[in-house]
Amino acid sequence: MSKISRRDFLKVYATLMASATFSRASKFLSSVQPANSNKPNILIFVFDAMSARHLSLYGYARRTTPNLQKFADRASVYHRHYSVGNFTTTGTASMLTGLNPWTHRAITYRGMIDHTLTDRNLFHLMGDEYTRLAFTQNLWADILLSQFGKDLDYHLPCDTYSNSRFSLFEPDDIPGDRTLAYYAFQDFLNLRTIEPHPFPGSLSIGTLELAKALTASEDNPSIDYPRGLPTVYEFSYENAVVFAELGRLIQSSLQSPPFLGYFHLWSPHGPYNAQRDFVGIFQDHLEVPSKPPHSLSGSNYPEARLRDFRREYDEYIANVDAEFGQLMNGLEDAGVLQNSYVIVTSDHGELFERGELSHASALMYAPVTHIPLLISAPRQQTRSDFHSSTSNLDLLPTLLQIADKEIPDWIEGKLLPGFGGIEDNSRGIFPLVAKDNAAFRPIEHATFTLIKGPYELFFFTGYPGHPDGFELYNLEEDPDELQDLFRKDITAASQMKDELLEAVHAANRNYQTK
Amino acid sequence: MLKRFPNPQAILQVYAVIAVMISGWTITAFLWKLSTWLLTLNLGEILVVFSYAMFANLVESMIVLAVLLLICAVLPAHILRDVFAVRGTLLAVGWIGMLIILLSANRQIGMANPSALFIGPLAFMVLTAFLLVISKSNPVQSAILWTSDRLVIFLFVLMPLYIALSGYVIFRIVV
Repeated sequence: MSKISRRDFLKVYATLMASATFSRASKFLSSVQPANSNKPNILIFVFDAMSARHLSLYGYARRTTPNLQKFADRASVYHRHYSVGNFTTTGTASMLTGLNPWTHRAITYRGMIDHTLTDRNLFHLMGDEYTRLAFTQNLWADILLSQFGKDLDYHLPCDTYSNSRFSLFEPDDIPGDRTLAYYAFQDFLNLRTIEPHPFPGSLSIGTLELAKALTASEDNPSIDYPRGLPTVYEFSYENAVVFAELGRLIQSSLQSPPFLGYFHLWSPHGPYNAQRDFVGIFQDHLEVPSKPPHSLSGSNYPEARLRDFRREYDEYIANVDAEFGQLMNGLEDAGVLQNSYVIVTSDHGELFERGELSHASALMYAPVTHIPLLISAPRQQTRSDFHSSTSNLDLLPTLLQIADKEIPDWIEGKLLPGFGGIEDNSRGIFPLVAKDNAAFRPIEHATFTLIKGPYELFFFTGYPGHPDGFELYNLEEDPDELQDLFRKDITAASQMKDELLEAVHAANRNYQTK
Repeated sequence: MLKRFPNPQAILQVYAVIAVMISGWTITAFLWKLSTWLLTLNLGEILVVFSYAMFANLVESMIVLAVLLLICAVLPAHILRDVFAVRGTLLAVGWIGMLIILLSANRQIGMANPSALFIGPLAFMVLTAFLLVISKSNPVQSAILWTSDRLVIFLFVLMPLYIALSGYVIFRIVV
């Protein structure tokens, strides 16, 4: 047998690589062949950490969302839509499964849903009749999408439209084992510089990450982004690029209906690095009620600092709104939305009060659970407003209704008003944060919430050094949640408390007996 | 060319030191995080994470050994090749020890004062250099050889673990 020369080796290698590339491309192309179906396309835009309380669309004093307001003129607008989680994992898992957090159990940081429930998701229920594409820039949401991987025709890597990445390894580097690769590299082998006492599992990878972190430019500034480029922990990006590329992707994907696209974008999640044109646009003196630090606040920021963060966040929302407006204009001009539902929502909100910044704390006040929901139907010309409480569990059954699919009994959400559901003011919604609770144990270390009618009840339980307690607010008369009514409105407090504790016991009992 | 490398027994002893130090750190970190994972992952997933870690350990340890052998091949034989078991061990301990001290310092004091992170590693480097200088003395040589020889026993556990779990990782990635 003759020896293989270097040139021969390169030829064989090139042939193999070309074959592999062609194989993947042909798989995707075959999946986007026009289907013989009249089903509508569905485009879901999730803007991470976008609080409804900061959108002029919902009455916020700063004009943050002129483009969403324009979009809302031809959409169903839900004014009291709540996420049942206050950080990505819980909020996204509930939205995509239609299940309460205590059922799917994605309640911890970087958590996953119960393995026995992975078929209970939007993409599976839509079935292969749809071409299903998902993209998120949020690595924690990507863990969930990876769990649903077999139900996706196309799952884009998180850093698809990024400028630069800061991490040596990312789950997308190992597409064959995406979820656990994330755990292995990001949660164990890598140095997680965001943690207070990082303990990388690998000496060499940890050292390289440390060297990179020590030599990296802190703010990653650019001319267009004076505060630095928008940044996810592992990479940076430019919103203009992301939205432009998404526009192209959606236009080409809609050539092969029916298409289901899930686009979960990091902005306006912090850091609030708005593009230059939006920095400083809100030089006003917005009146924000003073709220003293909460005993469960983890950060205790002074109010002046929180006001600065709030302004930067509002500017960033305005930036994202402008990009979204351009995206929608482009798609409408291209005439590709004629048979498409477009949904705009978020996974959770953001908090700038009581000493707390951001989200994922023990606090579940309305700014962190009240999220936007707008649904624009094909050829819809007028605006419909719905004021009863709705939950992000409701999106899944509503989408199934839209796609004329069967709605399984196990879904814990309800049809949204305007899409077969009714405005039900007696309905209870149960947001929950239990990030420090064992995922597969009874939930005993958490903040439970019940939102029902005008009321909102919090039950703080299991926090070390903090006695269990309740807070009750009337969101209609006191939207800023300033007057705790728990010891004043005894009737409402008693009824709400009974219902919430019953739900807590049922949730834990169900899990223990499972 | 092979003549430029040390004898296999010396290589084995040095590799044992490298593998034990690298895997020792990884296993400590693994046990440190295990309590959290038990709440969020099932045992199969924890095994996968451990497999990735062992795969990474295999690659890391091979890289360290390869670098030492490269130095050995380049330098005159009497500097490193002829005393590889002793000086190779010291170099490996110095190199990996500095990384351990650096990352431990980062765990304790963070990155707020970067120069403070390097005090420990530099001190350890000086100590290693001192030991290299005095490595011709019999007591030092004996102690190093005795230690590296005893560590070889761990290779009977680590090598099968590396190979089996690396094979499992490759299987997962490819299949």
